[in-house]
Amino acid sequence: MLDVKEIDAAYGRAKVLHDVSLNVNRGEMVFIVGRNGAGKTTLLKTISGLMKPAKGYVSFEGRDTRGLTAVKLARLGMRYVAQDKKVFGNLTVRSNIELAAYASGVAMPSAIERVTSIYPDISKFMDRKAGGLSGGQREILLIGRAMVGSPRLLLIDEPTEGLAAIVIEDIMRILTRMKEGSEVSAIIVEQNLSVVNRLADRIYIMKEGKMIREIADKAQMTDTSEMENYL
Amino acid sequence: MIESAIYGLTIGAILYFVSIGLSITFGTMRIINFAHGMVYALGVYFFITFLPRVGGNFVISALLAIAAAIPVGYAIERFVIRRLYGESLDYAIIATYALLLIGTDAIKWIWGTVPQQVTEPIGISFRFFGGGFPLYRVVISLSALVLFLGLNLFFRKTVIGRIVIAALDDSEGVQCLGLDVNKYFSIVFVLGSCLAVLGGILYAPISAADPYMGHDILLIAFAVVIVGGMGNLTGTFISALALGLVIAITGRYWSEAADTMVFAVMAIVLIYKSYKA
Ligand SMILES: Nc1ncnc2c1ncn2[C@@H]1O[C@H](COP(=O)(O)OP(=O)(O)OP(=O)(O)O)[C@@H](O)[C@H]1O
Ligand SMILES: [Mg+2]
Repeated sequence: MLDVKEIDAAYGRAKVLHDVSLNVNRGEMVFIVGRNGAGKTTLLKTISGLMKPAKGYVSFEGRDTRGLTAVKLARLGMRYVAQDKKVFGNLTVRSNIELAAYASGVAMPSAIERVTSIYPDISKFMDRKAGGLSGGQREILLIGRAMVGSPRLLLIDEPTEGLAAIVIEDIMRILTRMKEGSEVSAIIVEQNLSVVNRLADRIYIMKEGKMIREIADKAQMTDTSEMENYL
Repeated sequence: MIESAIYGLTIGAILYFVSIGLSITFGTMRIINFAHGMVYALGVYFFITFLPRVGGNFVISALLAIAAAIPVGYAIERFVIRRLYGESLDYAIIATYALLLIGTDAIKWIWGTVPQQVTEPIGISFRFFGGGFPLYRVVISLSALVLFLGLNLFFRKTVIGRIVIAALDDSEGVQCLGLDVNKYFSIVFVLGSCLAVLGGILYAPISAADPYMGHDILLIAFAVVIVGGMGNLTGTFISALALGLVIAITGRYWSEAADTMVFAVMAIVLIYKSYKA
């Protein structure tokens, strides 16, 4: 459903991605691991349309996405959940969900139902300012917000970064259920290898802007010793 | 002293009308928009042109002038500002400053360079503690308060308002939900232009209209936006009133320094902010 073909990406003169390729099949949960600065975020931004590739192209559901903006791609069912757990901090949790509902033409009650089905506890802080939530709550709101309107592909950047073990379990539960539903595909950037090997269908390893390895073999995926070399 | 305070609140109210659009434009689009001063001045000249043609009816003429300014604001956003998104700040300054200069010359060409007076629409004063207060100034001050409350309602209660609030914070996040941020920015841009024109019209009877009026108000409005925090709607309101008072009170004791004092306050706020950061 997603094909990234030999893309280069750059910030001004600084070339960050070199000839990166990757693909995702329907219902698949693919993980990307790699050191800080490897270019993982840049890759997700390029897929989501926030950055334009300098070379190569991305095809989403058989469509060449060159010339499509991030807004168009979101309307086609792509949802990018950024790295910094940045919710709309000045709005309530409810309004955060409301914007997602409005954007995808979903009625508010079913949008709220969608988010609470992912994480029931969220109903306790519906009317709180989203900016005042804990890191874990914000990440869950972001994932919930992205799930409104039945997206086809989620791009989630380091969902467990900076979270306590117990909150990581919550996120894992959410991702596991998402996977079991298998209606949505996902690319997840993650440095926590215990999360990766419990959830991954396939793993890509990035280093210095290049895609250096793909692991599809179950036995290799559970053995994290190799991946550790790249973290 | 009370006279100065009321005068200060009047000036502050006008500054608020003019600054709010600048503040939102900077907060959402990261663009410093000098063309705001052009729309402001042009709107006032539209008003002066309409006024005798509608039998001197201030309100109708004001509404017509605002309506006439809408396409101007829209065109500036659509054909100039929108091309400058994500470009370096300098491009926006140069391009919008060019518009301001073009607008000023167009005004000189069409309406001439002689300042034009506008008669005060209410013409009632009342006495209070031995001073005379034009009711008109009180009305202007109150209208700023009404605008502040109205904008708060708009930004809090309507979906469009909430989208803009969200985009002030995280424009990419809004786009990644599939909302076309530009469309909403365009709406608030035109709204900001209309408010600037309204501010200019309200101010015209107190000062006078001249081709350079947009330049004069713009620099002070920038100071308001900087002191209040770019994109901070409540901050802009407070800072507009505070700087209005600074102008009026300084002006009372040392009239030459009134405008300079605004920039002294701005400098102090900037120094303080950089210490805190
Ligand atoms: N806005 C930017 N302007 C210039 N260079 C950037 C920018 N953002 C990232 N970079 C550079 O691009 C390279 C890749 O960054 P990227 O954020 O994609 O890495 P990452 O793999 O996501 O790292 P992390 O694990 O820290 O999130 C880094 O060298 C970084 O310094
Ligand atoms: Mg990153």
